[in-house]
Amino acid sequence: MTTSPRWRSVLTLIQLNGLVPIRAQPLYLVNLLASPLSFLFFITIASQGRLLNYGVAGGMILTMLSVGTGLQSDLTHYRHDLKFQDVIVASPVTAPVYLIGMALSEFVYSLPGMAVFLGLWVTMGWANPASAVVLFGALVLVWAFASTLGFTLATYFEDVRETFMFSPLISLGLSVLPPVYYPLAALPGWAQVVARFSPTTYAAELVQSAVGLAPLDATTQLFAWLALFGFTGGLLALSAVRARWREP
Amino acid sequence: MPTAAIVARQLRRVYPRAPPGVAAIDSLDLEVPSGGVYGLIGRNGAGKTTFVRIAATQLKPTSGTLEVLGTDAVRTPERVRPRIACVPQESRPLYFLTVEQAARFNLQLRGFDRRESRRRTTEVLEELSLADVRHRSISRLSGGQRRRVMVAMILATDAELLFLDEPTTGLDPLARREVWAALRRVRREARTILLTTHYLDEAESLSDRLALIEKGRVILEGTPAELRRRVAYPFRVTLRGGFAREELDSFGRVSSVEDGFLVFAQEPAARELARLALERGVQVALGPADLEDIFLEVVGRPIDAEENAPDDGERP
Repeated sequence: MTTSPRWRSVLTLIQLNGLVPIRAQPLYLVNLLASPLSFLFFITIASQGRLLNYGVAGGMILTMLSVGTGLQSDLTHYRHDLKFQDVIVASPVTAPVYLIGMALSEFVYSLPGMAVFLGLWVTMGWANPASAVVLFGALVLVWAFASTLGFTLATYFEDVRETFMFSPLISLGLSVLPPVYYPLAALPGWAQVVARFSPTTYAAELVQSAVGLAPLDATTQLFAWLALFGFTGGLLALSAVRARWREP
Repeated sequence: MPTAAIVARQLRRVYPRAPPGVAAIDSLDLEVPSGGVYGLIGRNGAGKTTFVRIAATQLKPTSGTLEVLGTDAVRTPERVRPRIACVPQESRPLYFLTVEQAARFNLQLRGFDRRESRRRTTEVLEELSLADVRHRSISRLSGGQRRRVMVAMILATDAELLFLDEPTTGLDPLARREVWAALRRVRREARTILLTTHYLDEAESLSDRLALIEKGRVILEGTPAELRRRVAYPFRVTLRGGFAREELDSFGRVSSVEDGFLVFAQEPAARELARLALERGVQVALGPADLEDIFLEVVGRPIDAEENAPDDGERP
């Protein structure tokens, strides 16, 4: 079987930015595991165990978000300090191929975290085909959203230090304020309205509903999927127009 | 194949935060023929890197037209990109890769299969004397070796047009000559190289044609021999003592150097001055002006004099 040039590029990016650095420094793998597990620890202790279930469901969403913030830092560093993006732009590799390949390479870093949370998922007794489909779909969309956001921002930043400033803001806006680690109902009314502007709110609602933590009716579920697709599709469309692949 | 690899007409680029009226390149007209090495020379801030980045589809021009390999590179850059490759100024390979991985992965990214990528990688690493360090991490290489890896990555491709922005900066003389030999090999393959450099000996040695850029415009263009013919004083006479400065002014342009004078003159005056010097028993050397002399005459300042405008590689 021959591999098409585009897929060869994607596979090479996964190897180049994912497998090779991890083989050289396996501690990278702990990086994306630390934040979600820390959140899970705090929320469990603070709630005296009552929100452990929500913490497990939210941990996977946060892990996918971390892929995006990691991508943002890597791509900014490569573009600004090494001029790697300029090398890639002047080549057959297109922006979508670069985005997909680099996003998948960052996903490799999240595998230990995902394995831990999937283990907890099974331990909770949530493993069934229906919840697995919802979980998979929601996580893929959050991964796509976060990666596109990271890629797009990275084409704007002029210094890797800017990513240090933005990453916590992104985490705050997409994983702390939205009800990723707790039920939406725990937020005051105004905050629930604000939370509706984050795609992770819908992803969390869908996952929490699929495992029976906060069941949604069919109409609300449909709306949540549409919102999640809308945010991701909208950002992809925005990125296609506004990302600075060629400097304007 | 089009007769010109690059055709730029009235090309202009103003960076968003540049002072009013300051353009990195302005009304730039340039035609780079297909095949061979085309040298771009100029001081820091002259506009070389801006031009390379526009032609390599990394930067949009503010106005003007640009054809690269017969294709409109401003409107349809995606049709140009598969046919070009670039070593950007100050670029470095990803430091966690080995030398071999950096070159091979770049080929695989461009669509080469694993076997062909390995074959090309082996060849180019041999050519640039990097075979001995092929399994060494980039992070453990010297700055010069890293620069050679960047050059290797690009030379190993099959791109029809290669952009090399100061590829030999930081290399020792031996390594520079290895890169020169590799570039000459690429030239024999009828590919086109656009080379920017601060080393005028390099530009003169490698380039079939040259453009001298100053303040965003091409102020001199042609073969090295044509450039020599176009300057007012194409010959240089070096004198070690024996003359007063006033005596020399009538021969051409005079500069003081250690122990004597450097006189740029036209051929008859240069020969006359050399004859006079021999009659007086003064140590004299006569020869054609080199590119550095031409640069000095045309621009009025040495090539390593800094421009006050922002560096042309800078992104405001």
